[in-house]
Amino acid sequence: MVNVEEIRDFAAGLLERGEVKSVLGFRHGSASAFAEPCTLTEADDAASLVWDPTCLNNLALYLVKDRKQQAASKTPDTRPVGIVAKGCDSRAVGVLLQENYFKREDVVVIGISCEGTGVVDPKKLSNKLKGRTASRVTFDGADGISVSVYGDETETVIPAREVLADRCLECRAAAPALNNVVFGDSVEARDYNEPFHAAKEAENVSEDERWATWEHHFDRCLRCFACRAVCPMCYCPECVVDSTTFVVTLGTSAKEKANRIRWCERSANTSESAVYHLTRAIHLAGRCIDCGECERVCPVNIPLRLLNTKLEKEAFEMFEYQAGHDIEQASLLSSFRDEDPNSFIR
Amino acid sequence: MTKRTGVFVCHCGKNIAATVDVKKVAQELAKDDGVVFSEDYVYMCSDPGQTAVIDAIKDNDLNGMVISCCSPTLHEKTFRDASELGDLNAFQCEIANIREQCAWVHKDMEVATEKALKITRASVRRVQHNQALEPIGVPVTRRALVVGGGIAGIQAALDLTDAGLDVVLVEKQATIGGNMLKLSETFPTLDCSQCILSPKMVSVSKNPKITLMTESEVESISGFVGNFKVKIKKKAAFVDPELCKLCDDCTPVCPVAVPNEYDVGLTNRRAIHIPFAQAIPASFTLDEEACLGLDPVVCGKCEEVCDVGAIDYDKKPTVTEEDVGAIVVATGFDLYGMEHMGEFGGGRYPDVLDGLQFERLCSASGATEGHIMRPSDHKVPKEIVFIQCSGSRDPENHCAYCSKICCMYTAKHATLYKHHVPDGQAYIFYIDIRSGGKGYEEFVQRSMENDGVIYLRGRVSRVYEKDGKLKVMGVDTLAGRNVEINADMVVLAQAMEPSKGTAEIAKILKIGRDKDGFLAEAHPKLKPVESVTAGIYLAGAAQGPKDIPETVSQAGAAASKVIALLSKDQLAHSPTVAKVRDPWCTGCEMCVDACPYDAIALVDGKASVNEVLCEGCGSCVGVCVRAAIDVKNVTQLQIHEMISAIMA
Repeated sequence: MVNVEEIRDFAAGLLERGEVKSVLGFRHGSASAFAEPCTLTEADDAASLVWDPTCLNNLALYLVKDRKQQAASKTPDTRPVGIVAKGCDSRAVGVLLQENYFKREDVVVIGISCEGTGVVDPKKLSNKLKGRTASRVTFDGADGISVSVYGDETETVIPAREVLADRCLECRAAAPALNNVVFGDSVEARDYNEPFHAAKEAENVSEDERWATWEHHFDRCLRCFACRAVCPMCYCPECVVDSTTFVVTLGTSAKEKANRIRWCERSANTSESAVYHLTRAIHLAGRCIDCGECERVCPVNIPLRLLNTKLEKEAFEMFEYQAGHDIEQASLLSSFRDEDPNSFIR
Repeated sequence: MTKRTGVFVCHCGKNIAATVDVKKVAQELAKDDGVVFSEDYVYMCSDPGQTAVIDAIKDNDLNGMVISCCSPTLHEKTFRDASELGDLNAFQCEIANIREQCAWVHKDMEVATEKALKITRASVRRVQHNQALEPIGVPVTRRALVVGGGIAGIQAALDLTDAGLDVVLVEKQATIGGNMLKLSETFPTLDCSQCILSPKMVSVSKNPKITLMTESEVESISGFVGNFKVKIKKKAAFVDPELCKLCDDCTPVCPVAVPNEYDVGLTNRRAIHIPFAQAIPASFTLDEEACLGLDPVVCGKCEEVCDVGAIDYDKKPTVTEEDVGAIVVATGFDLYGMEHMGEFGGGRYPDVLDGLQFERLCSASGATEGHIMRPSDHKVPKEIVFIQCSGSRDPENHCAYCSKICCMYTAKHATLYKHHVPDGQAYIFYIDIRSGGKGYEEFVQRSMENDGVIYLRGRVSRVYEKDGKLKVMGVDTLAGRNVEINADMVVLAQAMEPSKGTAEIAKILKIGRDKDGFLAEAHPKLKPVESVTAGIYLAGAAQGPKDIPETVSQAGAAASKVIALLSKDQLAHSPTVAKVRDPWCTGCEMCVDACPYDAIALVDGKASVNEVLCEGCGSCVGVCVRAAIDVKNVTQLQIHEMISAIMA
């Protein structure tokens, strides 16, 4: 079991010794039982850190934000940042390192193993509680999650399988391989779903039905770009499928501005949204580490994880590639092997 | 700048006009934005056609030109040159391919016309965003590298030096000569192979312009056409060729015996040996793998007996870097392994031989001094069966292709056999006889008529040993009956395959291979000696099965290509190279990894393109998720415009 006191002590130590300028972690949420991200800059604040099944966010996003802030600042604070990272989050850090977004010494990964469980899916939990709001959610033993609700402080233990997020049910590496320190044990036998379970299930449907489903989803998309905003891999200065993010510098000519490419229009209709989502999925191939954040934040519940895990499944099955597993590895799209299964390339 | 684009639509006689309404295409395009000139013409590539291009540019003050015709691989240069004559920058002229990509692949005129219109319109929209570019001048190193010291490499090297060029000739084995050395006589004239090859080998050794590096291999390459840097690794030279006086005192004391490559395993040699009498360089050599550990404590006998002190066990491999402007790859062939021919007893019965082994039996320099006898019991074979297409023309089990030379060398083998064993009988199982070539058919006929060789049209199902004979179970499809022959010896005309190192060298040099593993030429008809990489040329059987005359011709052709290339002071490099859009680049290095030419590096956290190395292939564009890199005149804006034109 992870002892949260150890995490707090470690974070406090880093801040005290000035080894990091800040620590990204989780604290009790102000609105519900769900934890919220926080940035600690003082050792004394470390006591507010929590670790429970509601630590949903992928904090690697804030490393990206810090990097962008540094780039924009005239006097950037270049000291390292500490980050509390689950297995999936550490892989996100891994991909960012692989892509040279920052250097290994710029980040101190405070790894936490999800051990036998993971984080809950708020929707599953809400269904389980029949609409009542949880006031406290904690780990209970190796594969249980203990929940109490407002107005009734008795703790009910729910089998983790019933409320875990889909990605946690399919997780292959719950312990962060990339880390400066790990709290908790690496649990090999996690008897939930096979990897890519949901993507495989979705493949069992006919092509026509699949297209009908996705057409329905793309039709509902609001193009709020929440999925892009929450994704740590969507750090491009300009999003190729959103011409409003066109980068304008002092050197940008009027002609360049006039000639900026609109691969996809901003209007939220089915075809434009399809282009947006499919392009985004392709751009995440070999980069998505399945933190599930895009799907979690979608206001209209588009199952975005399916698109991304489908491509990760292809990457794994065809090229044995797993995003963020090895920071020394060349990225999927840019690497080539002689034993490539496609013969045309030789 | 106002767009003033001109369009020509070519009929190509009836090649295009039969399927595409070229007049309509020209008329429709005349209505497009920025198109101020649009006409059709029967043969654009003819002299009047080219003049029309020049006149149209001058008369209409054009700043963009699209020729809608055949593939740009054929006439892009023609029309770009014509554009220059009309004072339009060559790179503002583009080709729209409506022949190979449209007229030739469709039947319905209406549909094909619609498609031709879209293809041409896409090119118009593209050319309207083209930049005027100037070729990049690159200095040239007037030296060439030849990889492989068989007849192809030898011929290429000699031809190159005749033109005054310096040549580095790299050979993996201890001597040059290659497979041709192992042959006894050559078809169809039956002249002795070594007698015609050794003068050339001597010329190589005496030629001051050739740096011969045996027991060496290309380790890595960098640079580009005209300016390659090649790292060559040479095995440790334990025997100093300058000191070695070929006294042969060392071999009798060497305790190690291993199969002799030169005799294709029919005899053994010592760890210290000379490959054969006329070896070039003329020196003994020490086989590192076979030697007892190169440790004087374990053995050290050869060093003890060497009077002149030519042997030094402490020698280390060396790596040298050579600057060359062009490369000829002539890595040759190996025979398809006998171990694959289980049904014919290949690799199992000592008296089932491959073609090269039989050559060694016939050769006066072979183990038997030219007496044909069975390796198992040294008896003269009285009945001998040759099986053609062994491993060739069998896509299910072996190689799909025809190895081309086996029909001829099998006829030669049978003839030679009759010359050595006049009272013997030779049988040949064949599928077809392919004897195209000067004097080839007559040679095959002679083997049948004068030497009584029995040709059986059919395949062999099995060869097995019984009572000291090799029982050959075959079929004679012309007579419609099964055939059983009790043979004393069976010779398999094994397929030719690219030599063992070909895959490796192709990878190092970044030149392609075809589906069978042979080195790929840039164009099967029009660029048969060019590889897909500029400045690297192909010669000999590494490119495909061929006989000696063809190999020599191809080597000469490759040499002449190199001579032409290196005759200039400067090479013009295409300016359609990649360009980084700095503000978008995040320095993720994906393009650096993806670039097959090592043309991109990170400079101050951003990708930076070495224009001289860049071939404009666009691999970097494909991997950049940030759209931060473009190829000049094929920018993403232009691709977007082209897609819009086609989808509209």
